Amino acid sequence: MRTNTTLLTAGIIAVLLILALCAGCTGTAPDGNATPNATTAPPGGANVVRIATTTSLENTGLLAELERVYENETGVDLQFISQGTGQSIDSGRRGDVDLVLVHAPDLEQQFIDDGFGINPRCIAYNYFIIVGPESDPAGIANMSPVEAFQAIYTAGTNQTAGVAFVSRGDNSGTHNQEKVLWEEAGYDYEADVLDAGAWYVEAGKGMGDTLILANEQQAYTLSDEGTYLSFADRLDLVPVVAEGAELLNRYSAIAVNPEQHAEVNAEGAADFINWLTSDETKEMIGEFGTEEFGKPLFTPLYAPECTEPPFNCTCAEPVPT
Amino acid sequence: MAIIEAHGIRKSYGSLLALHDVDLAVEEGEILALIGPSGSGKSTLLRVLDLIEPANEGELSIFGIDVVAERGRWLDLRRRMGMLFQRPIVFNASVYDNVAMGLRYRRASGDEIDRRVNEALEAVGLSRYTRSRATDLSGGEQQRVALSRVLVTDPEVLFLDEPTANLDPTSTATIEEIVMRLNREAGMTVLISTHDLAQGQRLAHRVGVMIEGTIAQTGPSSDVFRAPKDRRIARFVGVQNIIPGRVVSRTEGLTTVEAGGRQILSATPPPADKVEIVIRGEDVSLHRREPMHEEAENLFPAMLTRIEPAAPFVNVTVHCGCDLVALVTARRADALGLREGVGVWISLQAKAVHLIPLTGH
Amino acid sequence: MVNGNPIVEGFIEAIELIIALDPQVVEITIRSLYVSLTATFFAALIALPLGALIYFYEFRGKHAVVSTLQTLYALPTVIVGLVMFLFLSNIGPFGFLRLLYTPGGMIVTQTVLIIPLLMGLTVSALSGIDRDKRYTITALGASRLQTVMTIISEARFAVMAGVLLGFGRAIAEVGSVMIVGGNIRGATRVLTTAITLNTSMANYSLSIALGIILLSVALGVNLALSLVQRR
Repeated sequence: MRTNTTLLTAGIIAVLLILALCAGCTGTAPDGNATPNATTAPPGGANVVRIATTTSLENTGLLAELERVYENETGVDLQFISQGTGQSIDSGRRGDVDLVLVHAPDLEQQFIDDGFGINPRCIAYNYFIIVGPESDPAGIANMSPVEAFQAIYTAGTNQTAGVAFVSRGDNSGTHNQEKVLWEEAGYDYEADVLDAGAWYVEAGKGMGDTLILANEQQAYTLSDEGTYLSFADRLDLVPVVAEGAELLNRYSAIAVNPEQHAEVNAEGAADFINWLTSDETKEMIGEFGTEEFGKPLFTPLYAPECTEPPFNCTCAEPVPT
Repeated sequence: MAIIEAHGIRKSYGSLLALHDVDLAVEEGEILALIGPSGSGKSTLLRVLDLIEPANEGELSIFGIDVVAERGRWLDLRRRMGMLFQRPIVFNASVYDNVAMGLRYRRASGDEIDRRVNEALEAVGLSRYTRSRATDLSGGEQQRVALSRVLVTDPEVLFLDEPTANLDPTSTATIEEIVMRLNREAGMTVLISTHDLAQGQRLAHRVGVMIEGTIAQTGPSSDVFRAPKDRRIARFVGVQNIIPGRVVSRTEGLTTVEAGGRQILSATPPPADKVEIVIRGEDVSLHRREPMHEEAENLFPAMLTRIEPAAPFVNVTVHCGCDLVALVTARRADALGLREGVGVWISLQAKAVHLIPLTGH
Repeated sequence: MVNGNPIVEGFIEAIELIIALDPQVVEITIRSLYVSLTATFFAALIALPLGALIYFYEFRGKHAVVSTLQTLYALPTVIVGLVMFLFLSNIGPFGFLRLLYTPGGMIVTQTVLIIPLLMGLTVSALSGIDRDKRYTITALGASRLQTVMTIISEARFAVMAGVLLGFGRAIAEVGSVMIVGGNIRGATRVLTTAITLNTSMANYSLSIALGIILLSVALGVNLALSLVQRR
């Protein structure tokens, strides 16, 4: 078996070579932007900041833009893990990430009250919109958001032809907002809405997927403005209700408390939050999307506007580092 | 000197009893054939003797060493023996590498391996396939590779487990020739199992008949064929006539047995009162008329009841109190004008009438 | 759909992306190969000796072990993902390794995912060496170690086929790497998770391009498999 042993050995060496080569390739890829002194730090160390965030931010492309600029400026490797807001905050609770970038004020407050989140800073806002087919079978145009939800509910339970509502159904910030609206419209979400009938569809997916699903079914859905705008060219759906204080959608960054999880990169998180709240970054956020969609996707928050209703948050004070 | 001695060997696989009460002694330099029907335990016995698997019970000594007591020496002993199996076994490698396996296990030097492998392949006529992949060869060629793989290690004892059962006559002849030459020239001890009686007769100095997991009879092949010890052996060695009878008297070295109202003389001392008469078909002579100068002790008329072709012979069944089958060449059957319903005379030497004790069935 | 047929357009763009060696496509492909090849390598390193051990040693419950392994072939990848996520998460027993959301974590997860497959296929590959061959090896005077080495060498093509199957399963699975890797752009995004994300972003051309590459890898594996099995 001498000849075959030789062949086998050659094969193993070849595989090892390929592996080594691949290790080399990918080793350089993520480190391409890093500063030389940072490359020696261990993964998860000071040069990497992990951010759990929402699919609605990821889907707009804003994160990719922020990542590009920040990594160029500082050499820090930003790693965005896009999940629903609920799941993102859970990742923060477990200390699997260094900060969260989310949009569900109630969940955020609880995260902070429980001692897991520190240094919350609001960054920007836009509006949720109720989108639906142009024919508007439930006739909700020009209604207030709460009235619109009541109208959809009534039409849906009466089995009015063509009326359907697609919910994110994933405990995301958008889903949370939707629940708040149902409650304000006078329904118990668990008891009245969840099992209201075939017209209420739970997608269990990200914002983009949910919009595509709603588009396929010609149904109403609640979307953040940013994601809707970035998907608008692939959708037949139109914004039906776009005004009302209840539709405010505020994005905040919250660091994970290093007293709960000593391993988190608290310093990197603080630096990134401070960069996010800097005027230059806000300016960039305020312009993002103008070129592509004709109007910005987000409105940055500045002091003192942010400290007043309806925002009631901190947006300018630097985080101590 | 006995090179292998086994007593009371027993081997079972779970509830299946493969060998029991096996006693066997193999002399150095002899060719011993184990014959017996399929499933009689021939292969298992060869594996036990070649130390491939242990027996459950019994004594076994090989090259004078008690192998039951000395498990630690099995590998060394096994390396002095070799075995060829029924199915041609080759490994997924070149013919050269296949033949070299045993030598490599024995850590022979590269030069020696090279020399001996090439010699061995020369001897079985496969030199031109040295670099070929062994699995690409025909069945006969593969078996020759397997044989040279065994022979290249110079075994003192060679086990052959139905080595030619799946081969064409030419490959069979080649392998038989090699084995006989090695035995003659190198004094190699050979144990061959076969269900082919003729092969056993052709090759072996001595045969052992295996029936249902044990060796029922050993001896020169002529003994086993003419004087089988019991009905099962008689059936296996192809005896046509096994007739129950009763011993009547014993005089002047001849035993008189009555069967079906007919008295038959036998040269065998009576083994019991109730016996079975064992007569090979080719020992029964047929005549159209009463022979004048017949020296056979048994001579009587009979009626021909059936003729069956069994090329190149015919089986002729005659009735003479009991049914008797005679084996006659087709040519002679023609010459005698044999056909059903004719009267014939039968002659039978007392030496050709073998007696065995009547057993339960 | 507003902009004509997105499938046709996506397909054309996809071809362009591949031909132009789009850096994003190249990077994701290389990472995918790196993660799955490394996982296959480590899984083979662990599973082949273990499989051989199971095959060569007789022990109580051996049959149960083998059938358990065969059941685990069909182990849903998301279950592996979930379990590994719980292990590797900061609050889990191996949280201190900080492997969650890293390529290292994905490698560990895929390794765990395919170890049962490789072990089971190793046992089957070795079992494919019939009894007569084992008798022949013993009869030729092989020591215990030489027997083991000869049987492994004889089963090498079947074992290699098993390793290739394992690699195919690793590179094609999406559930566990999505959960454990987190699909981080530039760090843990591989072919399958990138296809999932880009499809959800209606970015069909990139999805199709990556899909074509994944399909080619799978095709290559199958081709290699049939070559190996012909031996």
